[in-house]
Amino acid sequence: MAIFEHGAVKIEVDEDGFMQEPEQWNEAVAKALATTEGVDNLTDEHWKLVHYLREYYLKFGIAPMIRKLCKETGFPLKKVYELFPSGPAKGACKVAGLAKPTGCV
Amino acid sequence: MTMADKVKVKDISKHPERQLTHIDPQDLMPLPPPYDKVDEEPKWKAIKQEQKDAVVSNLDDTIALGFPKPKTKEEEDELVRKFLSGLEKLLTRENNWTFLQPLLLSLEHCAKCQTCNDACPIYEASGHNDVYRPTYRSEVWRRIVAKYIKPGGKFFGAFKQGDIELNWTTVSRLMELSYRCTLCRRCAQTCPIGVDNGLITHELRKVFSQEMGIAAKEIHEKGSVQQLKVGSSTGMTPLVVKDNIEFIDEDMFDKTGIKIETPWDKEGADVLLIHNAGEILAWPENPGAFAVILEAAGISWTLSSDVVAYDGINYGLWYDDFQLARVAIKHAEAAKKLKVKKIVIGECGHAHKALTVIADRVLQGDLNVRRESAMTLLEDIVFSGKIKFDPSKNDFPVTLHDPCNMVRLMGIVEPQRRILRYLAPQFREMTPHGVDNYCCGGGSGFAIMSPFNFQDWRLSISGRKKLKQVLDAFADCPGPEIKKYLCAPCSNCKGQLRDLFQYYNVWEKSGILYGGLVELIVNAMVDVKEPFIEWEFH
Repeated sequence: MAIFEHGAVKIEVDEDGFMQEPEQWNEAVAKALATTEGVDNLTDEHWKLVHYLREYYLKFGIAPMIRKLCKETGFPLKKVYELFPSGPAKGACKVAGLAKPTGCV
Repeated sequence: MTMADKVKVKDISKHPERQLTHIDPQDLMPLPPPYDKVDEEPKWKAIKQEQKDAVVSNLDDTIALGFPKPKTKEEEDELVRKFLSGLEKLLTRENNWTFLQPLLLSLEHCAKCQTCNDACPIYEASGHNDVYRPTYRSEVWRRIVAKYIKPGGKFFGAFKQGDIELNWTTVSRLMELSYRCTLCRRCAQTCPIGVDNGLITHELRKVFSQEMGIAAKEIHEKGSVQQLKVGSSTGMTPLVVKDNIEFIDEDMFDKTGIKIETPWDKEGADVLLIHNAGEILAWPENPGAFAVILEAAGISWTLSSDVVAYDGINYGLWYDDFQLARVAIKHAEAAKKLKVKKIVIGECGHAHKALTVIADRVLQGDLNVRRESAMTLLEDIVFSGKIKFDPSKNDFPVTLHDPCNMVRLMGIVEPQRRILRYLAPQFREMTPHGVDNYCCGGGSGFAIMSPFNFQDWRLSISGRKKLKQVLDAFADCPGPEIKKYLCAPCSNCKGQLRDLFQYYNVWEKSGILYGGLVELIVNAMVDVKEPFIEWEFH
């Protein structure tokens, strides 16, 4: 277990940088986590993706299917990779404060 | 360390603070061009010294388990004592109902001919690192048993078997070393007298899990424990899985124009289909294609929304007989409750072996429901004449990966091939293939394990032989302009192949996409107007 600090943000993360306590998430945390993904400025498109993930997570307790994410945000997969270079699971979900995906995914 | 510095069996007990071996990129087995330049080999993620200091990290350059180092000598001694007591239990009938007989044979009969080493893709890809020999960890185990468990072993064990010191250093390194083998069991297949060194890795994992509570968290805590609690290792509850399948049904209609309504909990159906739930989240086109085929063929089928029964995974197969039994029973109970004629297991290799072969010892009486592979059901459907195919729709180079559990370890070799010979005009085999296949490198849970820099290890070493085989199979059309398809009918293998192809940029450099078998079948259906395979890497 490690502590991640960025500005005023201080959170517990696993060795891949995923939040250990997703309930501690807020927009400041998202901005801080985004820097670990090489995203220094979160645009409206980034936020659209992050908020979609966040809302889905609060409702269902896990991350959505990638295909569903693309369909419901209107972003093709390529666009998701442009926004978050390590991809929907390792990049976007991390910034949205979700736990690391589990199982054979 | 250079390759000239041979690591001896008894070295495992010595120099606790030092790594037993080191991996030099120069030593790795060469890959074909354009992947052949050592300086272009992906750089491994660095592990911070304070991370290394906190956990067991004295085997090689990676860490699979991250087990916290004991703080005192007493704690170390207690762990060694538990380990030894676990080893003793392995050798008794009442404590090892699964594998006692082959284990005893493997204990007594290894002739130390080392034939199996050359069959091991990890040993070969590492550049013949002694520590990764299939015989290395099993020889350590044999010496411990000879010296510390057999009567009179203290006096004769070392003399008969060779000496070993059982201390915390030995146990901690064995713990990590039991996660440097994918349990593909090519070594066992090659052994002239049937010694199963792969099984010994498995049995060591059992000791660590069942006796000491030590296992990879991806397969235990986040895997089988979560599956038994929530319903699926993916975290999907029954509500979520139904929502996702509904989405897939709609998506299939958009893609194929065929109306699908996946049946849930249909009593008296002929077939209870159990997918690896990872497919639903990561490769939804796979369960979608299954639904299209089953509906088109008029099969009476259903999914179950019972907790555990909508996720075919059974990670216990890799490390813990108790977890294996708990999950297998849930699968069978769901089938019994719905009064189906049989369970059919989707494209997941380890689920195949867990539920059909190993669970045979667990499922007694009316729990012993008929179980069948999707491969044979699909073959029956494809050749039944109920669906019209146009194989020319699959006119691109295709090769087939053989999931170890399904093929080498169960003998399901031909059904998938007969389908491909019919529906894929440019189908070509890898060398070798069938029961002689090489593991994807993600077997035994590795595909979902990426702690510290373990992903670098499982891609550049345990996946290396497979990558070479795949590239060789397409050597006649190597460039990215010709799109090629690697058919891998197993979720775990697909996860590993996805990561492997990303790591080496295989999609960009060579144009090889991976996917399942059912996608190719649907792609060839006359009634599906648009191409089903989208040629987008994901």
